[in-house]
Amino acid sequence: MHASRPSINQITLAVALRNLLGHLPRTLLTVGAIAVGLASLIFLWSFNEGLHRNMLGNFQQAIIGSIQIHHQGYFQQPELSDYIRNPEKVAETLETSGIENHSQRLESFGLVASDETTEGVMLIGMDPNTETRVTELEKRIGIGRFLQPGDSYTLILGATTANNLNVRLGDEVIVVGYDRYGVMVAESFTLIGIITSGEMGLDRGMAITSLETLQEMVDMPGQVTTFVINLPEKNIDKAVKQLNEQLHEQPLEIMPWYVMFPVMKEWVTLHNGFLYLFIGVVLFIVIASELNTLLLSMLERTREFGVFMAIGTTRQEVAALLITEALFIGILGTLSGTLLGLITVFITGITGIDLSILLGSTSRFYVDPLVYPQLELGRLGITISAILIASMVAGLYPAWRASQLQPAEAIRYG
Amino acid sequence: MTSIIKTRDLHKCYWVGTMPHPALHGIDLDIEQGEFAVLAGRSGSGKSTLLNIIGALESADSGSVEVFDQNILQMTQDRRTRFRLDHIGFVFQAYNLIRVFSARENIAYVCQLQGKSKEESLEIANHWLREVEIEHLGYRKPDQLSGGQQQRVAIARALATEPQIILADEPTANLDTQTGRNLIHLMQGLNQRLGTTFLISSHDPDVKEAASRLIKLADGQIVDEWSTIPKPPISISSACPVQNKPLGERVRIKLNRMFSRRRRKQSPKDNSRHS
Repeated sequence: MHASRPSINQITLAVALRNLLGHLPRTLLTVGAIAVGLASLIFLWSFNEGLHRNMLGNFQQAIIGSIQIHHQGYFQQPELSDYIRNPEKVAETLETSGIENHSQRLESFGLVASDETTEGVMLIGMDPNTETRVTELEKRIGIGRFLQPGDSYTLILGATTANNLNVRLGDEVIVVGYDRYGVMVAESFTLIGIITSGEMGLDRGMAITSLETLQEMVDMPGQVTTFVINLPEKNIDKAVKQLNEQLHEQPLEIMPWYVMFPVMKEWVTLHNGFLYLFIGVVLFIVIASELNTLLLSMLERTREFGVFMAIGTTRQEVAALLITEALFIGILGTLSGTLLGLITVFITGITGIDLSILLGSTSRFYVDPLVYPQLELGRLGITISAILIASMVAGLYPAWRASQLQPAEAIRYG
Repeated sequence: MTSIIKTRDLHKCYWVGTMPHPALHGIDLDIEQGEFAVLAGRSGSGKSTLLNIIGALESADSGSVEVFDQNILQMTQDRRTRFRLDHIGFVFQAYNLIRVFSARENIAYVCQLQGKSKEESLEIANHWLREVEIEHLGYRKPDQLSGGQQQRVAIARALATEPQIILADEPTANLDTQTGRNLIHLMQGLNQRLGTTFLISSHDPDVKEAASRLIKLADGQIVDEWSTIPKPPISISSACPVQNKPLGERVRIKLNRMFSRRRRKQSPKDNSRHS
C-alpha cells in the first residue's frame, strides 16, 4: 500500500494555478465574463430593490400608509356606522407598541359641487397635526397649501376634480354627504389646496378636510373610522401580528397595504420573477463560458493528462486538477464581480439613476424619476452563491472527461 | 533466470470505423530481469502497442500479460495506475514532460505520488539529475531545454521511483545522432549499473546495436529474435566491464555472443542492424 499523498493536494493547486497563469488571456477572459455577469446581477438586483422600495414607499406615503386599522368589515363596505368604537385604546396600544407614526381619519362618501357641476368623491377628514407623520400628501399639494391646525371648513381637492368643477383657490365648494344616521348634510367649504401628483388615484375622487370639520359635519364628534400607520417595510408583518394580538378584544381589522391593494404586491413579485429569469440566463452564460474555457484547456492538454496517468496520477487526481482550476476561475470571477458590482451600486446609490429621459413621466407608477439602487444582503448572498456553484458545475464535465481518458490514446492522439 | 515480463498469445486489434487494423497477433514474449531488450520493426509493426500493453497503459483483446507474476490485464484502472507507479518507468518519444513543472519538479512529482514528502522528493530529483548529468538545469522548464536534455529528464523521472522496468518508446527518434548515442549509452550504463530492465521500442540502428536482446516485430508478430553483447557505454564511466560480472553472467554473455554471430549469418536480409 502507498503512503498517503499529502503533498499531491499542494501540487494540484500549484499545477492548476500555473495552468491558469500559463494561459493568462484566456483565464482573464473567463474571469471577466463571470465578473461582468455577477456585477450586472448585483447592480440589477440593487436597482430593482431601489425601484421597488421607492415605488412602494411612494405608494404607501401617498395616502394609504403601511397599515390601516378599521372596524371589522369597514374596508369592504365602508359605512359611518362602522366607526372604531374605542379609538383611545387603539392609540394607546400603538404608543405602547412603539409605533409613533400613526394618524386618525374619518372617511365617508359624498358629492362636491361648484356653480357648474358636481362630482362624487371620498370625503377624508385628516388631523393636520399627525397626518404628516404617516403620509407625504403635503408634498403633493402643487397649488395652495395643506391643512393646518385650526382650519375650519377648508378643503383640498385633486387637480382633475378641481378642473372638472372649474374651481380655483379661494373658491367656495359645496360638500354634500350623509351623517351617521343617514341624514343628508351639506356644508360650504373654501378651497385651499389642489393636489397635482400626476397619479390618477390622488388627483381625482378625493376631497380632504380637517378631521374636526368632518366630525362636526357628520355629527360624529371624537369618532374615527381609520387609523393609518407608517412603518418601514420590514416591520410591517411583525406589527400586524403584534397588533392583532393586542387588539383582539375589539372588532377591528388590521390590514397591511398589500392586503388592501394586492395588485401592487403582485406586480413586484412578477417583476422579481423576471429578474430570476434573468439570473438564470446569466448563470447559463457563466457556465457556458467557463465550460468552453475548461473544455478547450482539457482538449489542449489531453496528452499531458495521458502522461499524468501514465506516470502514476490517478483518475481522481486528474479530475481534481480540473475542478481546482474551475474553482480558481470561479472564486476569482466572483471576487472581482462582487467588487465591481458593489462599486457600481455604491456610486449609483449616491448619484441616483435618472429615468425621466427613458420613461417620460413615471409618477403614474409611484416612481420618482431618480432611482437610487439599494443593496439587499440576502439577495447578494444568493447571487454570489449561485455564481460560485455554477462555476464549479462548469468544471465537472471537463473533469469527468479528463478522468475517462485512456493514457495510451491520450498520449498518442493528444 | 525467471521472466519478469511474460506475454502469452497476445492479440490486439484497433478499429477505425468498421475497418479492423490488427496490431498484435499472438505475441509470446519473455523478458528477464536486467535485460536491455529492444523491440525493432517498421512503423505499424506493433512495437508501441506491445510496449503500452506491457506498461498497463492499454488493454489487449485477448491473451495474458504477467509482470512480476501479476496479470495486469485483469487489473482495474486504478490498480494499474498504482502498479505503473510502483514497478514501471516510462520514457516517451516526445519526452512528455509536464510543461508547467521545472525539470526538478517533473522528477520530484512522481516521488510525491509515491507518498514521499516534497523535500525528500526534491532531494531524489537532484540525485537523478546528477545521474543523468544535467544537475545544473534542474530549475529550467521543459521548453527551456534541448530535446536531448528533455529526454534525460524523462529518463531521470522514469528512474526516480526506482522501478524494476523501464519501458522506452522510440526514445531517440526526436534526437540528432550524437545526442541519441549519448542517451543510449546513458541508458545502457544505468541498466548495467543498477540492473534495471530496459524494454525499448526503436528502429534506430544505434539502439539496436546497443541491445542485449533484439526482438523483431512485423505485422504484429515476433518474426525474429536474438541476443547480442551490448557495447560498453561511453558516457557512463562506472559501467561494469564484462570481466567484472559474475561467472554465470559471463557464460550467458559468451553464449549470447556465439548465438548472435550464428544468427547474423543466418539472417543476411536484415541489413538495418548493421547500418
